[in-house]
Amino acid sequence: MNTINSLEEMAEGNTIIHHLHPMVKLITTILYLVLVISFDPYNITGLMVFAFYPVILMALSEIPYKPLLKRMLVALPFSFFAGLSNIIFDQKLAMMIGTIPVSYGVISFTTIIVKTVFTVMAVLILIATTSLPQISYQLLAIKVPKIIVEQIMLTYRYISVLLEQVSNMYTAYILRAPDAKGIKMKDMGIFVGQLLLKSFDRAENIYYAMKCRGYDGNYLYAKPNKINQIDWTYLLVVGVVLLLMRFFNLSQIIGSFL
Amino acid sequence: MHMADALVSPAVGGLMLAASAGAVAYSAYKCKDELDEKKIPLMGVMGAVIFAGQMINFTIPGTGSSGHIGGGILLAALLGPFPAFLTITAVLLIQALFFADGGLLALGANIWNMGFYACLLIYPLVFKPIVKKGLNPTRITVASIVSVVLALSLGAFSVVLETLASGITELPFVTFVGLMIPIHLAIGLVEGIVTGGILVFVYKMRPELLESSFQKTKLPKDISIKKVLGMLLAFAVVVGGGVSLFASANPDGLEWAMQNVTGTTELEAKGDVYTNAESIQETTAFLPDYTFKSSGDDGSAVGTSISGLVGGGITLLLAGGTGYLIYAIKRKKEKSA
Repeated sequence: MNTINSLEEMAEGNTIIHHLHPMVKLITTILYLVLVISFDPYNITGLMVFAFYPVILMALSEIPYKPLLKRMLVALPFSFFAGLSNIIFDQKLAMMIGTIPVSYGVISFTTIIVKTVFTVMAVLILIATTSLPQISYQLLAIKVPKIIVEQIMLTYRYISVLLEQVSNMYTAYILRAPDAKGIKMKDMGIFVGQLLLKSFDRAENIYYAMKCRGYDGNYLYAKPNKINQIDWTYLLVVGVVLLLMRFFNLSQIIGSFL
Repeated sequence: MHMADALVSPAVGGLMLAASAGAVAYSAYKCKDELDEKKIPLMGVMGAVIFAGQMINFTIPGTGSSGHIGGGILLAALLGPFPAFLTITAVLLIQALFFADGGLLALGANIWNMGFYACLLIYPLVFKPIVKKGLNPTRITVASIVSVVLALSLGAFSVVLETLASGITELPFVTFVGLMIPIHLAIGLVEGIVTGGILVFVYKMRPELLESSFQKTKLPKDISIKKVLGMLLAFAVVVGGGVSLFASANPDGLEWAMQNVTGTTELEAKGDVYTNAESIQETTAFLPDYTFKSSGDDGSAVGTSISGLVGGGITLLLAGGTGYLIYAIKRKKEKSA
């Protein structure tokens, strides 16, 4: 629970990637996601080239890989089980590696896992190099209604506050119920209910505090920077490279040179 | 129930993003009319409550397992459907960005599965009619259980449809539904009981909170439900008519789009680079000569996949090496500076 801010702290780094315009990073990330997931389930070799993107970005932006990998593990189980059925239901033989038979199901299973790893990495890198306020300004710039952006910002701001409160309440509960592994279902209503009531009061206080500082329903935002030449170059280069990687099977070309 | 990016195809992901964006835009529009600014901080904090609430596991009696609340119905009952839907959207976006819980492209699917059904469909059509005659603990509990079970089942069913339409999993439809629905019925029952417990507690302590949320955000009966139904109908038509285009046997969305534009899915086969690479390959590549050329047509397909595999491995090494190199150069620069 207390590691929640570690990614955002990384977003305050001082590297080439951190200085790029958030909009440019958002666009390239989404392009990367679309290209990666558009791969055919059996085209695992073409997919491999896309490893370059997260690796290079992580190196350039000096993100430590351990916290990123840890978070990635969260995303894997669901994909793992969804993909597992492919191994069971699709046993057509695709090829032999030495004496080990490889079925199409195994190939598509591997593709799902690889895709999960790549897409999750891409999103985490985006967040580790771009803070949430920066992304929110971009949302406003593309005319997302203000109420949604404010909602995102406020929710994010109070997650850590409430997690701390929950953690305190949980400790108090567990101290009084030493054998329990979690909160008993019959106590859950009261437990979360308390949290809700406290939060209602807190929200009211926050509103008054905001009112005292001149809030009239409009949040004030700092103006984001303009997109400069370096940003355009990055967008162009990354975009072209990613598209080349999608439509040419570079792995196969590399492999065929040997 | 969070879907990852790898579990949707671009076509399905895009479709669901569009559908959810429409619902979000409509909710924002409704909130602008009906919501006073005082509620904005409340929505933010409530989003954080749901986020924190999802991290508290409660024990399920008799099983030794545990579960956590989802929160769609809970939010709708406390805030009203449209603010609740926006709140859930914010929570899901933050989960996708910071916790790798659901993907960015799959966000549309996740908002639809977990937010739309609970807040905009089940709450006005099921929850409200049950408690319409007046609030009391029994009615609140019944309404909560029925609504949560229905919302979860609808969401689980959508997950099945979305993965199948994406051509990701080989699970036959009936098996998949047979696995997903019963387990979500059970989860829904427990979550419904807990949601009911929470709402009854809030009602007993501060009845005005629930009462005011019912009075203030009363849906105009004739318009809203029709609109919600209309949205659902449109969605059904799109899914029924459109999604079958993207089933696994057909070209994927990108190839499909390319085919429509250019008439072929294999642009690269005609490029100069490819022919060049091919001629280089014929003269220098050892794998085709070495292993497979003698074995005829059948062997060459295997040859391609092997050279692809070898290439894939080398590509990974190259990628890792490049990353390491950049690190090393940076370190050196820092030291000398």
